[in-house]
Amino acid sequence: MIRGVIVMNDRGKPRLVKFYEFQPAEKQQELIRSIYRVLCSRAENVSNFVKVDSLFGPDVRLVYKTYATLYFVFIFDSSENELAMLDLMQVFVEALDKCFSNVCEIDVVFNFNKVHTILDEFILGGQVLETNSSEVVKTVEEISKFFLPPQLCVCLISFRYSYGYDLLFYAGSRGLQIQSWAVHQFLAGSGDSIFIALVTSFITILC
Amino acid sequence: MALSGMRGLSVFISDIRNCQNKEQERLRVDKELGNIRTRFKNEKASTPYEKKKYVWKILYIYMLGYDVDFGHMEAVSLISAPKYPEKQVGYIVTSCLLNENHDFLRLAINTVRNDIIGRNETFQCLALTLVGNIGGREFAESLAPDVQKLLITSSCRPLVRKKAALCLLRLYRKNPDVMNVDGWSDRMAQLLDERDLGVLTSSMSLLVALLSNNHEAYWSCLPKCVKVLERLARNQDVPQEYTYYGIPSPWLQVKTMRALQYFPTVEDPNTKRSLFEVLQRILMGTDVVKNVNKNNASHAVLFEALALVMHLDAEKEMMSQCVALLGKFIAVREPNIRYLGLENMTRMLMVTDVQDIIKRHQAQIITSLKDPDISIRRRALDLLYGMCDVSNAKEIVEEILQYLSSADFAMREELSLKAAILAEKFAPDLSWYVDVILQLIDKAGDFVSDDIWFRVVQFVTNNEDLQTYAALKVREYVDKPAIHETMVKLSAYILGEYSHLLARRPGCSPKEIFGIIHEKLPTVSTSTIPILLSTYAKILMHTQPPDPELQNQILAVFGKYGSCIDAEIQQRAVEYRALSRKGAALMDILAEMPKFPERQSALIRKAEDSEADTAEQSAIKLRAAQQQTSNALVVTDQRPANGTPSVGQLSLVKVPSVSNVDQNTAEQGVTQANGALTVVDPQPPSTPSADLLGDLLGPLTIEGLPSATVQPEPNLASGLEGGWNAAADALAIAPVEEQSNIVQPIGEIAERFHALCLKDSGVLYEDRYIQIGIKAEWRAQHGQLVLFLGNKNIAPLISVQALILPPSHLKMELSVVPETIPPRAQVQCPLEVINLRPSRDIAVLDFSYKFGTHVVNPKLRLPAVLNKFLQPIQVSPEEFFPQWRSLSGPPLKLQEVVRGVRPMPLVEMANLFNSFRLTVCPGLDPNPNNMVASTTNYSENTRAMLCLVSRFKKFVYCAFVFKAISVFYGEPHDGN
Repeated sequence: MIRGVIVMNDRGKPRLVKFYEFQPAEKQQELIRSIYRVLCSRAENVSNFVKVDSLFGPDVRLVYKTYATLYFVFIFDSSENELAMLDLMQVFVEALDKCFSNVCEIDVVFNFNKVHTILDEFILGGQVLETNSSEVVKTVEEISKFFLPPQLCVCLISFRYSYGYDLLFYAGSRGLQIQSWAVHQFLAGSGDSIFIALVTSFITILC
Repeated sequence: MALSGMRGLSVFISDIRNCQNKEQERLRVDKELGNIRTRFKNEKASTPYEKKKYVWKILYIYMLGYDVDFGHMEAVSLISAPKYPEKQVGYIVTSCLLNENHDFLRLAINTVRNDIIGRNETFQCLALTLVGNIGGREFAESLAPDVQKLLITSSCRPLVRKKAALCLLRLYRKNPDVMNVDGWSDRMAQLLDERDLGVLTSSMSLLVALLSNNHEAYWSCLPKCVKVLERLARNQDVPQEYTYYGIPSPWLQVKTMRALQYFPTVEDPNTKRSLFEVLQRILMGTDVVKNVNKNNASHAVLFEALALVMHLDAEKEMMSQCVALLGKFIAVREPNIRYLGLENMTRMLMVTDVQDIIKRHQAQIITSLKDPDISIRRRALDLLYGMCDVSNAKEIVEEILQYLSSADFAMREELSLKAAILAEKFAPDLSWYVDVILQLIDKAGDFVSDDIWFRVVQFVTNNEDLQTYAALKVREYVDKPAIHETMVKLSAYILGEYSHLLARRPGCSPKEIFGIIHEKLPTVSTSTIPILLSTYAKILMHTQPPDPELQNQILAVFGKYGSCIDAEIQQRAVEYRALSRKGAALMDILAEMPKFPERQSALIRKAEDSEADTAEQSAIKLRAAQQQTSNALVVTDQRPANGTPSVGQLSLVKVPSVSNVDQNTAEQGVTQANGALTVVDPQPPSTPSADLLGDLLGPLTIEGLPSATVQPEPNLASGLEGGWNAAADALAIAPVEEQSNIVQPIGEIAERFHALCLKDSGVLYEDRYIQIGIKAEWRAQHGQLVLFLGNKNIAPLISVQALILPPSHLKMELSVVPETIPPRAQVQCPLEVINLRPSRDIAVLDFSYKFGTHVVNPKLRLPAVLNKFLQPIQVSPEEFFPQWRSLSGPPLKLQEVVRGVRPMPLVEMANLFNSFRLTVCPGLDPNPNNMVASTTNYSENTRAMLCLVSRFKKFVYCAFVFKAISVFYGEPHDGN
């Protein structure tokens, strides 16, 4: 079974931590630190496997992969196939990529709750649940419908300053490309026309 | 944003991101936690939206590594929220924060069950995910039938069914009985006909779990698994979305082949034929391509197919095909495939026929030892270690030695240990073995453990042909300018014993040998000096005719160390000085060491122990374990005449056992002749000590005397007069280890007892010979304890006795405790306890055993204490207060104040109460600083009675805190 999934950045900050066998908080941190120490010392173009006997016991394996600034780490026992785990990691990242359109660290940071939701569609109780990323994306989209009813967008217009961030992230997560100049203008409050265009597009998506 | 849509959360996360350092982050987190705590306290003020936001924040803080000791209740309560967003947060956060035994989870069982049996699919999914992640025994008992129903109802959506399958797997692991349903194996077989690959993947995982426990019930699934595999391998009816880089669901293929490995064989010829066809197709149809992800996926399937082929013990042709494939893999560019190629080749070694084919790839494997990736280097080393035998040992060990000087530090210890073991196991001749170990010490002295050089000494001592060679060799090494201390120890010992064999060679006169060893003395640590002193004494003895100049030099050294602060050095210096005046008697006392009795190499034993630990449960490994036991061979001085592996290893001892007995009786003779010498023979002759250190550091003990020279000994003891007290003398000659023979317990006994008062299993006592574990089950006034007595040694523990001294209120019955515990064995002794009436007295276990000659007799308190007979009960205020008031005073109502205890936060206190089996009833007392608890006490005489406890925390400095269970305000009250 899969014992845990950890996503951390290249400085060792955890971005997603999920253990399928309960570990107390201190133990989790200790493991994350030790894993980080091993990973950051590894060169590029080496294998994705690391021996972790000293941390988890003899039967446990670890695969990791680096995506831009993030390390994705799967810890599992000998009942799983190493390469299959690596494939699963790839599919997980593909799904994140589809949900956040070009996922980057910042998406994972601010949407850690959504990342949890996505992970729950892939792995359940340490077992592979689904391996088809489009199926997962579909499920997550379905779930998303329960959030942010269309009326909220109208509210956003009146609270645009205070909800600015939310709006942008929402747009990002929905696959809308936002130009950086538009973001600046929008936050500065001077880009009314763009803002309205954005909101209109939201409403079309949501309805 | 879609899922969180919470500004507060985003703001908090960006605040954390903006923190410059850890300290700022901690401040920000503390502030947030304070804020959340106040909000949660004021329950009415927080809306579901706020609650949701705070619970997410708590999860975020928890992920950052801060301990969050509140908010669990809020997370759990969100589960029962009516709207999806809140419910989802509740489910996700609960499954991250809580473990399966958390009490709050019990509160949620009903809600979870309602969600599972309800009509709302999204709620069903959430609930199944929670149970699948953290469901415990109680969940298993109350939910299993519902989950089973979901899985087999084909009208359910696949989304729900696949989750139900994995949820069921979890419940099955928690309580295997839930799957003891009539006809479940048929249902399982039906599930494998499923078209939806998502459901099929989950069902396959469930099947693997079921098979791993008992494959007998599921034979009917075997042909179905082969069908699934066929369907995938031929890409029939596989939807496009489940094709990953052109490969039809590699995960399902892997899982299916895993499942097949749990069946010992495939009986049906048709099924077997189609299975082999599929495997052949997989083995042949996989190539290394450019795309990394595609490579990973196709090789995941391929490696699993290899494992299955190995398991099925296919005909030789297919096996050699596999090895050929692996040989190709270990040379490819892709590091992952190189790594797995090496790993699988190591596994392949366990299949007997193919070892020769693997040997053809030796050169490539040796190259992998220089791979840039340490993971691959390690694998290569494992493989080399596994494939080594008499025919290739020389080459492999020399490669390892060569690599040792450039290897990274993380690997050196492993390398040197493995080189030493291989050299010992497969040495074509012993001089080569000596060469290897000397090189090893020379190149990586820091990583050569004492066991390794002790072993060399044993070999050299027991093989006369080797002695001259070894002496000559170490003489060469000692000449080098800076040598490792281990080398100093080994060469000093060997030169002391055998340098006289070299006497006629240039540079090997006693004087020169002394000179060159003495040069090293200023550089060595105190543990080495005693060995050097013994060497000097031996050199002195071997110098015939005596050389007065050398004698003076050596006596001067003894004189100098006669006042050394280290007791061992001082003792030796003084003794040797006195002995060296004895003339002829010296010859006998310092005679050559006798041969060592046969013993298994400590190194090989160590290696075997660790192998036993890592042994996997799978069928292949089990088979391999049977094959590996034959490796525990000992090298001899007999050269392998024909080079076949097994002939090279015979027993090493040439000392006939009779002389061993002679020696012992002779020693006993000595003992009787001179009562003062009783201490000298500390080890029972029947148990040759495995402690090499003792043997080597006490090389001059009387124990070492050959039987022929026994006669002079009594004279020796009486001859050593002149202020020498015979008793002290005898003590001084005894080996070092015996001077500290008091057995100290490991860990605090009292602490272990206190811990066991709170838990039901753990270690009660441990010292270096024995470990006593305890496991208990309590039901009302009855208790069932099991004592686990584990012998940690390789010698038996004898005269084991256990006596229970029960206090008057307990009736205890201990089953028979065996008198002897065999080496490394564990015996279980059940113990029945019945509580007659409540009391604070504690039962004591009077335990004793003998190891060698030591008698160890610890008295241990048994954790059969009052709180074990309690059973928590919830009491409402209406019940509590009238009863509390109706109790007037002692003996029914007691008040005690516990002082000098560290103050404790309320939550911790509540936890403590819970572990004492007192239910805390919140809200009974309006003052939040007071705590009220209730429980039922069971005993034979009084039956169940209600106990009420109320605890008031007084302000000011010293909080009155509950410490031990024996103290409470409270009181027994009959009839409830």
